[in-house]
Amino acid sequence: MSVSRRGFIKLLGAGTACVGLSKLGLNLSPAQAYAASLKTEGCKEILSICPFCSCCCNTIFSVRDGKIISVEGDPDYPVSEGGLCAKGAALLSMHVNKHRLEKPLYRAPGSTKWVEKDWKWTLERIARKVKETRDRDFIAKDDKGRQVNRLESMFQLGTSQMDNEECALSHQMLRGLGVVHMDHQARI
Amino acid sequence: MPKAFLIDTSRCTACRGCQVACKEWKNFPAVPTKQRGTHQNPPDLTHYNFKLVRFSEHMEDGTVHWNFFPDQCRHCIDAPCLAASAVPGAIIKDEASGAIIYTAKTVKEDFASIRSACPYDIPRKDPKTKQIVKCNMCIDRVQANLLPICVKTCAMGAMNFGERSAMLKLAAERLVTVQRTFPKAQLLNKDDVSVIYLVTDAPATYHKFAVADASDAPGMTRKEMLAGAFAPLRKIAQSVQG
Amino acid sequence: MTNHFADIGNADAVLIMGSNAAEHHPIAFKWVLRAKDKGAPVIHVDPKFSRTSARSSYHVPLRSGTDIPFMGGMIKYILDNELYFKEYVVEYTNSAFIVGEKFAFTDGLFSGYDLAKRKYDKSSWAFEKDANGTPKRDTTLSHPRSVFQLMKKHYSRYTLEEVSSITGVSQDDLLKVYKAYAATGKPDKSGTVLYALGWTQHTVGVQNIRLSAIMQLLLGNIGVAGGGINALRGEPNVQGSTDHCILYHIIPGYLPMPHAGWATLADYQKANTPVSKDPLSANWWQNKPKYVVSLFKAWFGDNATPENGFGYDMLPKIEPGEDYSYMYLFDRMYKGKIKGGFVYGTNPAQSVPNSHKVRKALDKLDWLVVGEIHHTETSEFWHRPGANPKKIKTEVFLLPSAQRGEKEGTISNSGRWHMWHYKAAEPLGQSKAMGAMVVDIMNSVRKLYQAEGGTYSDPVLKLDWPATYEPDDMAKRINGKFTRDVKIGDKEYKKGQQVPTFVQLQADGSTSSLNWLYCGGYTDADGNLSKRRDLTQTPMQAAINLFPKFSWAWPVNRRILYNRASVDLNGKPYAPAKAVIAWEGGKWVGDVPDGGWPPMSTGKGKYPFIMQTEGHGQLYGPGREDGPFPEHYEPAETPVKSHAFSAQLSSPVYKRIQSDMDVLAVPADPRFPIVLTTYSMTEHWCGGGDTRNTPPLLEAEPQQYVEMSPQLAEEKGIKNGDVVVVESARGKVEAVAMVTIRMRPFKVQGRIIHEIGMPFCFGWTTRKCGDATNRLTPSVGDPNTTIPEYKASLVNIRKATKVTEL
Repeated sequence: MSVSRRGFIKLLGAGTACVGLSKLGLNLSPAQAYAASLKTEGCKEILSICPFCSCCCNTIFSVRDGKIISVEGDPDYPVSEGGLCAKGAALLSMHVNKHRLEKPLYRAPGSTKWVEKDWKWTLERIARKVKETRDRDFIAKDDKGRQVNRLESMFQLGTSQMDNEECALSHQMLRGLGVVHMDHQARI
Repeated sequence: MPKAFLIDTSRCTACRGCQVACKEWKNFPAVPTKQRGTHQNPPDLTHYNFKLVRFSEHMEDGTVHWNFFPDQCRHCIDAPCLAASAVPGAIIKDEASGAIIYTAKTVKEDFASIRSACPYDIPRKDPKTKQIVKCNMCIDRVQANLLPICVKTCAMGAMNFGERSAMLKLAAERLVTVQRTFPKAQLLNKDDVSVIYLVTDAPATYHKFAVADASDAPGMTRKEMLAGAFAPLRKIAQSVQG
Repeated sequence: MTNHFADIGNADAVLIMGSNAAEHHPIAFKWVLRAKDKGAPVIHVDPKFSRTSARSSYHVPLRSGTDIPFMGGMIKYILDNELYFKEYVVEYTNSAFIVGEKFAFTDGLFSGYDLAKRKYDKSSWAFEKDANGTPKRDTTLSHPRSVFQLMKKHYSRYTLEEVSSITGVSQDDLLKVYKAYAATGKPDKSGTVLYALGWTQHTVGVQNIRLSAIMQLLLGNIGVAGGGINALRGEPNVQGSTDHCILYHIIPGYLPMPHAGWATLADYQKANTPVSKDPLSANWWQNKPKYVVSLFKAWFGDNATPENGFGYDMLPKIEPGEDYSYMYLFDRMYKGKIKGGFVYGTNPAQSVPNSHKVRKALDKLDWLVVGEIHHTETSEFWHRPGANPKKIKTEVFLLPSAQRGEKEGTISNSGRWHMWHYKAAEPLGQSKAMGAMVVDIMNSVRKLYQAEGGTYSDPVLKLDWPATYEPDDMAKRINGKFTRDVKIGDKEYKKGQQVPTFVQLQADGSTSSLNWLYCGGYTDADGNLSKRRDLTQTPMQAAINLFPKFSWAWPVNRRILYNRASVDLNGKPYAPAKAVIAWEGGKWVGDVPDGGWPPMSTGKGKYPFIMQTEGHGQLYGPGREDGPFPEHYEPAETPVKSHAFSAQLSSPVYKRIQSDMDVLAVPADPRFPIVLTTYSMTEHWCGGGDTRNTPPLLEAEPQQYVEMSPQLAEEKGIKNGDVVVVESARGKVEAVAMVTIRMRPFKVQGRIIHEIGMPFCFGWTTRKCGDATNRLTPSVGDPNTTIPEYKASLVNIRKATKVTEL
């Protein structure tokens, strides 16, 4: 993908109104040339979108060796033109963050702590719980004898953090299982 | 050509994108803070906060004024801190951009004299490295022809950056526009600094050190410094601008 | 949003009400400033002076829960002074429709009220119809039962005196706003309304928005550049996730959820497909059966057959009239009726009213799966302060979720722009995208059913379900494809081809689409349009900040909804300088028009409000649960005992949860004399899980606070920075007092009423930052949406003697 660079400094023609004062030799100490290196030098740039409000500010991730080095607003997104609020500006800290969960965790009934589990065990255990609940509580007909095929004792909440593709799947899965208690942030 | 910022506070919504972006670009950790009855946090600039949005409120004729001031180093044209520097190479002025840069050699400076030399109370000391630190104009970015991160992040047009001449022109234009609504609007120390603030209220209603000649600036040293260092400069600047 | 973010810059007046736009949609606010730069007054009406107010032309403080009187007064002002856009009102709204004789409104109650059920029978609200079934009209607007005359009568009661007395807004301030905003009633002027949760989170939430719609229709501000009713939606993909309807009552594309009363697909289609015999009405929802069948085809693939109603027979059916939303769900959980479930990317232990009850309800679960990026108050409910983990038998699974930059896919902004984001880095550790969690969990369930059988396994096994989560494949499925070779008109389509637009979707099973709204976003001809980044515009588009080639907007890349109302009967723009569409040389130019029909004057046009059965904007809305005209009712917890508009103090139909933990203060309760409103802030998101775990954000907003006026602080002996206890009938919360002139006491009915405000993002899992504000709020909600009333409840405050939460 190509990313245009409206984030560059605009090189405006030098006005005649003001000549740099340092050029006039008025500064109290001599100026020097200072050389700095750019932390995103050589990074690959990838377009993403801020995961907060529905302005959906487009962002540019600078990535080197698979590591996120910096996140900035995308100047080509007409809504934001490269801007970000405090939340959007904090995306680097949000991704590279010691508080993040890295492994599935399990808390047994009555336990006082989490234990780490692998995905295989976790998925199988969740599937077992879903099936037990569904097989036990599935309601084929309501009290008026009408076919209803629903499972009232299982629920899902969330989420606007999901992409459209994820939402579509989530909805499909829930209706497949017969879930009716489902809701998300549109309501709260 | 030297660079300058125009910070038009009449457009600032205190979203603090600039405050956070600054920390993120520089990979600074958070400092511990407390809620003290204001949204301004951290309370002041720190060695990990080179940019801080200051919040200040007052009532005038039954109308609430909530003033936001994205505070940072002004990169003075003739920087008093540089003049006060006793260690060669500790504080330098980058010729191309006009940025005032504090280097690792600041460990040898007397922090108190550098800080008190600053009319805007900007320098801070990193307790770990013992270096004196502050905004460096994102010199790394500017040299790569990128906007300073605070300016890049600002969506409101409050933060602007470019050639000094262009910023002075923009400042003059904005002042005329803003004065239609806010007759008291003014540009702060525009001839002496590379970071020019446009404010709509009395400077003291934003921040104690918003402007260099604030009447409550502590100590004569600073006033003398300003009188001595800035006065002749102003005259010349005016004559240059014609 | 009917319009989009960049369009706000086209407004001649901006009314921000029920929203703190600068803090919650910070970047959108730049477009507000652009409008202001061009001279538009920016008016902020809100209880609190916020960062939005600071940059508005002026701020008008309003007591929480009195938006309807405030706007009702504006309607009266517009009508009394004839400031409405007459041609628009006559031609494009239902102002001329005649309402049936049985309709009545008496002392705060509309006809058809059933006190025992707390519900309206809406049949008496219907229009009077001709033999064809089309509503009768009187375009002179003089018929006493015309919508226009009924509306005039209804809002004649909203006098400046009464409105001022109940809202706490001075008459001068009311007139200042009415005058500034009503000036947009001129044909070439437009005003935009920006709202958010400050309007929805009330027991009259829907009617708040309805009344703004009435105001906008009267001023001719819908369908035009710089106009519209613009919900600034608070969450990252709340637009898209709502479009995909992960809600109990609708299925993707805003289609009704099947209920037990509709036994077959035919029953469902008959009940839900509107019929209009008016040749000038597009009645777009007449196409609903095509969208429904295409959705079922996408869900069940080859297993969706005409014999099983394309899978309808297998689907769950809700009980008619039953509510399965958040508050009811947690009430049933609290009562032991819900055994297990999934929580993804949301933190109900923080963000649902009456958090004490929500947290206790979680204790009753057998199992809980949480998909999250961090530990949250929900995932950790079993060791919350005061709980004994040994007594809590819930099995909890906490699944690590990838962050946004670690996955690809689309999200939709508030302006309905459908945009692709790319994957920048691999998910951290073993974390994965929620989509992958969903696919993997369902495949694990399916494997069990395949191996063991089980209760009615058909819908589980017959889903057309992917083996792995592939966003690109899902994006294609959402758009939809042809399931067999078909000929539509004279065009032939092959099996497997992507459907070009929803116009080609069929009700016979020959097409599939997971969401008709998004059909056209990923086609064979143009590929994945959500990836488009072309900023080119025609001069006409550039004049109104329209970027038709950047990403893709639903529906069919239309950027401004109802845009046919921006032109006169000849297709000529009412505002030529900011035209949205125009009929030029026998075709429409500008935005994608709301249907390609020629202008109305040709006789072959269609009314502009194509999603309404009758094609007209609804000044009178007979479909809502709480009345066809918005009427003032106090919040469920109100500081007043009565009001001048009627004897009906609060909404007669608002939803209220009943349990031993759902206690309400009485009207003007002396124990709880202060109004509490709750909100979010720039630095934190929703319940705060993500942002409290992001150090630079916690640095900027570290702890729970309560904003209050200096007058209240003085009354209570509280100083700025003191820790106080805020208490309601349901709970207590500790907070740091932020004593500020930005909060003002209200003079209501001649006495002083104080209002305080608190954020709801702080929770105990972040050490010493405070805990859930929603421990204070009540489980009451809007009768149409069941959105809880977070914005107005009753509390008291006092200085804390002992501090434990901060």
